[in-house]
Formats: sequence, structure tokens, C-alpha cells
Amino acid sequence: MALTTAPEPTRPDPGPVRHSEGLAGYVFLSPWLIGLMGVTAIPMLLSLYLSFTNYDILTPWSEVQWVGLANYERMFTADPSYWHSVRVTLTFALIAVPLKLAAALGVALLLNRAWRGVGLFRGLFYLPSLLGGSVALAIVWVNMFNRDGAFNSLLSLFGIQGKPWVNDPDWALETLMVLAIWQFGAPMVIFLAGLKQVPTELYEAASVDGAGRFRKFRNVTLPMLSPVIFFNLVLETINGFQGFTAAFVLSNGTGGPVDSTLMYTLNLYITGFTDLEMGYASAMAWVFLLAIAVITAIFFSTGRFWVHYSDGEDR
Amino acid sequence: MHPATPPTTDAPVGRTHRTPLPRRRLLRGLLVATVAAPLMFGAAACGDDGGAADPNAPVKLSIFWWGGDARAKLTEDALALYTKKHPNVTFEKTWQANQGYFDKLATLTAGGNPPDLFQIDDNYLAEYAARNTTLDLTSYQKSGKLDTSKFPESLWQYGVVDGKLAGLASGENTQGLVYNKTLLTKHNLPEPTTGMTWEQHIAWAEQVTAKSKVPGTQDPSADYKAFWVWLRQQGKDLYQGKDLGFTAEDVTKWFELWKGARDRKATPTADVIHEGNSSDITKQLVVTGKSATSWVWANQMPDLKKNTKDELGVIAYPGDPSAQWARASMYWSVFRGSKHKDVAVDVINFLNNDQEAVKLLGTDRGLPSNQDLRRVVSDDTTDPAMKQSIAVEAELTQKFGKSPQVPIKGHSKVRSELIKAAENAQYGRATPAEAAAQFIEACKSAIA
Repeated sequence: MALTTAPEPTRPDPGPVRHSEGLAGYVFLSPWLIGLMGVTAIPMLLSLYLSFTNYDILTPWSEVQWVGLANYERMFTADPSYWHSVRVTLTFALIAVPLKLAAALGVALLLNRAWRGVGLFRGLFYLPSLLGGSVALAIVWVNMFNRDGAFNSLLSLFGIQGKPWVNDPDWALETLMVLAIWQFGAPMVIFLAGLKQVPTELYEAASVDGAGRFRKFRNVTLPMLSPVIFFNLVLETINGFQGFTAAFVLSNGTGGPVDSTLMYTLNLYITGFTDLEMGYASAMAWVFLLAIAVITAIFFSTGRFWVHYSDGEDR
Repeated sequence: MHPATPPTTDAPVGRTHRTPLPRRRLLRGLLVATVAAPLMFGAAACGDDGGAADPNAPVKLSIFWWGGDARAKLTEDALALYTKKHPNVTFEKTWQANQGYFDKLATLTAGGNPPDLFQIDDNYLAEYAARNTTLDLTSYQKSGKLDTSKFPESLWQYGVVDGKLAGLASGENTQGLVYNKTLLTKHNLPEPTTGMTWEQHIAWAEQVTAKSKVPGTQDPSADYKAFWVWLRQQGKDLYQGKDLGFTAEDVTKWFELWKGARDRKATPTADVIHEGNSSDITKQLVVTGKSATSWVWANQMPDLKKNTKDELGVIAYPGDPSAQWARASMYWSVFRGSKHKDVAVDVINFLNNDQEAVKLLGTDRGLPSNQDLRRVVSDDTTDPAMKQSIAVEAELTQKFGKSPQVPIKGHSKVRSELIKAAENAQYGRATPAEAAAQFIEACKSAIA
């Protein structure tokens, strides 16, 4: 009797339909899912396992030996070049990231005006960051900052005797910093977008209250922009820590001269692929991941003291 | 009443408590598929093994080497000749510059996809042999499938690691000091000669700097092969069994020798020395014009010559030339897991012992290992740079000392640590003694 009741037959059977919709969803998702699993998640878990072994790339997996925490112990107690690479990376990030953000914000403020041709300048300033971590750019950089490079020719016009910047252990890292700072286009564009969001009423109100340019910047622009600054800071810090390409190209993959450009990731690469200590390199990678996570967490926990969201929803 | 209303109101509820099951099942399925797929492909690949029995079955052999365009051309010609004689064998050829070659080889090996046949040198042979990546060629040598009867005994033995023949020398070379003849002639300076002492060499270089304004000699203190020759002249060696063959005092003396040379302006400044410390042929100071000499391998002469218009000369390193030896410039090794081991070994045999192939290859990988064919090649060669390197090696062959053992596992790290320590001294950031102590410390952990 229940089967013959009027509403039942007309009602589309929800079960199979939903099931096949769900399946279709997963099918469409699968390229990404397989990519995530195959290229990111599974290799990451494997590297966690490898970090507790003496895996050396050439030895088959079946003969890999479990060494417990030995790799981590070595990193923290017996490897001076590891700590050296930590110092190099921190120096790089501490100097390059703030300067890059300052440059990005400064130029964004200049370009946030209705000048004729401002669009062209926005494009031009953004251009370097499109080239990103490209090898070609790093090669150009090396040639520009060589002893007989373009930069020294420029200096000589002013009667200044240049240095072999990229080949001088006191200056090689600084050369890399300049390269990183020069690529301020991406955060600049984000700053520009943020600046456009600041309501003009606030500036008008501030003007009425007699605020000068600096007061307006200090008390209107900066607080209103703080979520964008926060976003850029987190992103650029992570980027700064991961700097690899330029250091690799500049030093021919050695971190030289005299380890002055031995960034954390470069040291990791050399350890894994040149010295064939992939187990140890995996341990380095995990400590690196945790360190970045901790730094990001610190940013987020201090953020509430200086990041102002204009409405509650954005939190 | 409306037939469409019930399902739409019903649907969200149904979806929320119905989907978890299939989703979980699906996720699990996907996970299994992701993990299983490579395994299945792997298994399928292993299945090919049985087919190797038929000698005329088509074989595609992958082969990987480092080098420049010239080497690529010669090698491709020689391999084409092999295919001509064995139409069933074709090659999948990959080559690249030396920089990054070993990173790539290691990665290919780790991915379970190493080439059947690959070029390797003594810097890495022990690393690969100790991990059983290379096929032991001893049985092929014994059965005569790999003919080493015309090889100098010491040359093929320089491919033996832990009692296994891990690679077959694809050529012989030795250390060569290359100098810029044109520059010396222009400034009326004497050419250096084999047998000069290190002090005489430095004094000569000082004179070159003073007269020509081009630094007389590259500072080789970061160069392991120069350090090695010097050590052997002091009765020491780079390695002794599984240990270092030298002490901190030896290193200090070596670094002090070159600090003296730098102080006397016999060498370029530290940043230029650093450029020359690259293993890249095109960056050697003798071809970039930043120094009158470079410390290289004798078989690199023709390649160096391609990068400069100046006339070059080549002699042995300073000091007693008997500290030099007949070094396998590089080897051919077969991957132990290769599906076509026999064919791969046959190709190696062909590249070393077939007259036509050896004539094609010339001295690009060093003097031919087969001594009969070496004579044929040296009689035939027309390339003047090649002639020079043959001449100096032929002369040195009379004086060569006993070969050292093949460098041990950890050697590549020892090399990069030497560069680091030497540059520390060159840039004046450490005294020779401090740099030496740093080097010894790093070596100990590298070979541990």
C-alpha cells in the first residue's frame, strides 16, 4: 500500500542521485586531491619517517635503518654549519623583509594618487616580482654585481671604487637582500588595494579635526591598513625564510663564498642531494616547518594588539 | 501537494547525514589508489625481466653523462655506430653540464629510475659502490665480455672499490697545469716547466704578475687535486684506508705556502680566486684572462682551448711529477638493478675496445684506456690542443707513481670543506692554522 501512495513515485529517489552527484564531485576534485596526496601529503609524511632514519638516497628503502632522534640530536649539538645557516637565514629575513615591506608601502602610497600615467608606473614597479624566484634574474644579478658588473660601472661614474659584491663574503648576502627588496611589487599591489579601501570620510573627518598629513597617515592610514600589513608581513616572512633560488645561483650551489649565502633551504638541499644525507635533510626540513609555524603563530597572537579590523566579521 | 516541494525541503537533511559514509569510503578508496598505483606500475615494470633472454629482442638502453656539446656529439656518434652494428639496441641519451649532474643522478636513483649506463668519476665512485648502486663488473671481466687486457693494470684497478670492479675507466688523465702561452710570449716571460719546485713556481708567478699585470697563478689551495699531489710529494696521501692520510700540520703548511704566494702577489685577489674555484671549465681563470695559469686535468685542454683565443700550454703540477698517477678520468658504470646488464656491459666494452668507436671518441674523456688504440688515436689526431695533452701525458707516463686508492665515501664533502677552509684563509678571515683545524674537524665528520 505504501508503495502505491501518490507522492512516492513522483518523488525522485534522493539516495542514488545524491550519491552520483557526490561521486561527480570527487571525480572533479580528483586532480587536485591526487596532486595533494601524491605530491604533498604522502611525501611529507614519508619525509617525517625518513627524518628518523639514515636514508642516503642511493640505498634502497628496504635497507634504511631507523636511527631514532640521532638526526635531530646532531642538528642541535654537533653541526656548526647548521647553526651558521640558521644565522644567515635569520639575518636575511630580519633585514630584507621589513625593508621590502617598507619599500612596498612607500611606493604604494606614492602610486595611490590620481596622477596621469600612474597605471604605467604601477605596472613597472610590479614587473620585477612577476619574475619571482627565476634563475635568469639571479644570473642577471650576479653579472650586475660582479667586480666588472654594471653596478660598479655606475659607481665609477661618481668616482667610487666598487667591490666584487657577489664574490665578497661580507657583501654577498647583502646583494641577495637587495634583490629580494627590489621585488617588492607583490606586497605593493596588495597595499594599493588596501589603501583604496580606506574610507575617504575618515580622512575628511581628520582634516576637519585639523590633522596634518603625518597625523592622518599615523592615525588613519596605518590602523586601517593594519590587516593588510599583517597579511603581507606573514607572507613575506615565510617567503624570506624560504629564499633559495638566488642563493643557489649566486653561489653555484655551494652557499659560498665561505658559506656567506648558506641559506637554510640551500644547506638542506646540499645536505640531501650533494652529501646524500637525505634522512638528516628531512629532519632539517621538519624543524624548519615547525620554526615557521611557531613564528607565524607568534605573529597571529601578537596581531590582536596592533591589527585593527574595521568590522567584526573579518576576524 | 506540489510534487517538487518535498524533495527540496528534504534534501539538505538527507545530504548531511547520508554523505559521511560514502565520502569516507571514497577517500579511503582514493588513498589506496594513490598508494597502490606506483606499486602496480612498479610491478609491471619488473615484469619485463623475462623478455631479456632473446638476444635480438629490441632493447632501449638509457645512458647518462656530463659534458659539453663536443662530448655529446662524439658520444652520440659512437653510440650510433653501436646501433648500426646491433640494430636491436637503441639509446635513450641524456647529458648535461657537470654542475648538478650528480644531484640529478642521485635523484634518478632515489626515484628508482636510474639510467642503465652512466658516467661517474672518482669523486663519487666510492659513494655509489659502497651503497651497492653500481654493478660489480668482475665476472664480466673474468669471462672476457669486458676486455681489459690492453688496459694498463693500474688504470682498471683504479675502478676497484672494496674488491668490486665498480666502474670501467673510460679514459686516462692526470693533473695538468695549463698556462697562457700568448700572454707569456707577449711579455717576454719564460714558460713554466715540469719539475719546477712549488717555490720556483710561485717565484715565477710573482714575476709574471709584476711584468704582465695579470696574476701569475691561480691559488690552488682550495683544489683537492693540487693538495693531493703536494701531499704525495711529502710522502702522505689524501686517504689511508678509511681514514685521512694527512694531519692538521700538513694542511697548515699547504695553506701557508699559498698565503705566502698571495702576499707576494703571485695570485689574484680572493674574490677572483673564488671565481676560479668553480669546477666549470668556462670559469677557469686561464681562459677568462684573470690569471696566467689554471689547475685542471690534462684532458680538459681541448675544452679550455675552445673558450679562449690565446695559445695554451700544459705541464705537470710543480714538484716531483712521480706524485701524479694514471687516473681514470671518469668511468662507465652499470646500474645494479638494470634490466639490460649484459647489453650495457657490451656497450662499455665497445666504447673502450672497438677501434672505430675509440677513434670517434678521441681523447675527449682522457687518453683511451686501451693502449693499442691509444697509439692509433695519438697518431691520427689533428686537434692541436688534443695533441698537447697527449704529449704531456705520454711524457708523464714514464714518471707516473703508484695509483692511490679510490677516494672514500664522504669525499665530495671533503672537497667542499677544503674549498670552504681555503677560502676562509684566502679572504683573510682565518689564519692558515685556524683554517686547517676547521678543515680537519669537518673532514672527520664527513668520512665518519
